Amino acid sequence: MAGDFNRVASCKATEWAKILRLDMRGLRIALFGLLLFLTIFILAAFSDIFAPYDPWNRFEPFLAPCREHILGTNDLGNDILSELIYGSRVSLIVGFGAALMATLIGTLIGLFAGYFRGLMDETLMGITDVFLMIPQIPLIIILAAFLRPSFWLVALIMGALWWTSTARVVRSKAMQIRETSFIECSRSLGFSHMHIIFSDILPNILHVIMPKFLLTIASAMISEASISFLGLGDPTMKSWGMMINFAFTRGGFINGYWWWYLPPGLCITLSVLSLVLMGFSLEEREEETMRIE
Amino acid sequence: MTFSGKKAIRYFLAIILIFSLNFAIPRAMPGDPLANLLGEDVMLTEESIAELRAKMGLDLPLHEQFLAYWRDIFSFDLGYSYHLHSPVSAIILSRMKWTLLLAIPSLILGAILGTFLGALAGWKSRDAGQKFETGLVLMIYCTPPYFLSLLFLYALSFKLGLFPLKGFYSTGSALDIAHHLMLPVIVMTLFSLSRNYMIMRGSVIQERGNLYAAYARAKGLYGEEILFRHIFKNAILPIITLLALDFGFILSGALFIEIVFSMNGMGNLIYDALLSRDYPVLQGSFLVITVMVVSANLLADLLYSRIDPRVRWQ
Repeated sequence: MAGDFNRVASCKATEWAKILRLDMRGLRIALFGLLLFLTIFILAAFSDIFAPYDPWNRFEPFLAPCREHILGTNDLGNDILSELIYGSRVSLIVGFGAALMATLIGTLIGLFAGYFRGLMDETLMGITDVFLMIPQIPLIIILAAFLRPSFWLVALIMGALWWTSTARVVRSKAMQIRETSFIECSRSLGFSHMHIIFSDILPNILHVIMPKFLLTIASAMISEASISFLGLGDPTMKSWGMMINFAFTRGGFINGYWWWYLPPGLCITLSVLSLVLMGFSLEEREEETMRIE
Repeated sequence: MTFSGKKAIRYFLAIILIFSLNFAIPRAMPGDPLANLLGEDVMLTEESIAELRAKMGLDLPLHEQFLAYWRDIFSFDLGYSYHLHSPVSAIILSRMKWTLLLAIPSLILGAILGTFLGALAGWKSRDAGQKFETGLVLMIYCTPPYFLSLLFLYALSFKLGLFPLKGFYSTGSALDIAHHLMLPVIVMTLFSLSRNYMIMRGSVIQERGNLYAAYARAKGLYGEEILFRHIFKNAILPIITLLALDFGFILSGALFIEIVFSMNGMGNLIYDALLSRDYPVLQGSFLVITVMVVSANLLADLLYSRIDPRVRWQ
């Protein structure tokens, strides 16, 4: 008998191990993304410690990589490695600023549409559909062309445009949760709508909002790099897109100075990748748990 | 209100909103609206400024300007570019065909390749080879399109000399144009493929857990048969809507790729207009792109209701 119990127990243990391993697999990728992201974040936060020189300092221009300048210098004689390290700041600020704003708007709109339904839902989702159709990059280009380029502005416009997918996801989740019995409880206990939305529903959809937030940062970073590549970047800050733009327009590309345009491009890809890895693996875990339920 | 009626109102509102935005931007921005409408660096005498102001109706009250603006739109008058010395609509018309020549083949190729590869990747998501492929696609997904084209241009055109360095054509024959288009189309296809791939992969992973997939296996169907006979049809639905929304994205991507490959399409038109602050061209391009994106969405909606019977009965 005891042996039988043991077998059952060991069977259960392997089941658990399977589930845990499955969990770990998703987490490992997310963890890798997190590490990559933290590296970039630390570089941005302590740029003045890590960067060997002030990025605006001038040395001999067009230097190839050497011991004093690991990635050489650009046409103005700025040290490229220092530019690269300082460039992480713009990317992160624009990415975070835009994503914070977009997530806030999207969450609010999604919550209200999903909770109140009816006319509120129709109107808010109608607005979402309209916003979804605006070609965002061309609109950002045109606004940035009229206004003097600054990275706050770029972040603001992106934040005002990019809440649509978050709103949709939050809405469908809020619609699900509002039908559960604990919400019914709160309602019959006489809590106000606002209380139910923000203290009962919101905490239960944070796990859906989080990956969306990360993915929004990623797309904001890519777009910032694209806008800067067009020369619409903030002239007072060095950014990766701008570095590629200068390398492209000032002969770095034609002359094959790979150390000028390759590192900023790789930095963009890696920082976007770090966020996308976290976002995707969190989303996938979410789907896995839904299936187990 | 019927389903299609509601949709139609949304499209109508989108168009109205975007066109009104386009009207408001040059008038609300800091600086003289005349300069904002003509573009900077246009040298004018005092008299011609007054004359132009009257001609463009800038001395009229705003609501009359708004009506005049709509009248111009309906007669396809998008203004006059004082930099390029020709009407904006004519410039855009001549440039747009090149951009479409680049964007549409990439959109179609990217959709087909992306959905098939993505479906296979989702089906065998635990396979080591598929994981490697997914990682590779993810890298492309995370790279800005212009950087990807810079890399391809450097490796394949500069170093290996396989493709021409710039432009849409040098002699103008169909073969020559195709040769010039090859590399940009490859880059764009990869770019559009990566997006469809990731969505399709997720969609298949979600669908394969459903009971109908298990039933198909219980019936004795083989792996790929289940995927392409049953799962594929259901998993592809999100892609159709996405393709339309992606059309705007692909078009923006094409703009950047054109700049890198020095091709004379919309992308370089916008880039040059940016450098010379030629606002009429910028605004006209924005309007035309918007109208194209909205119509693509409308088309996708119609297509969707044809394909998915659940939508038709709503």
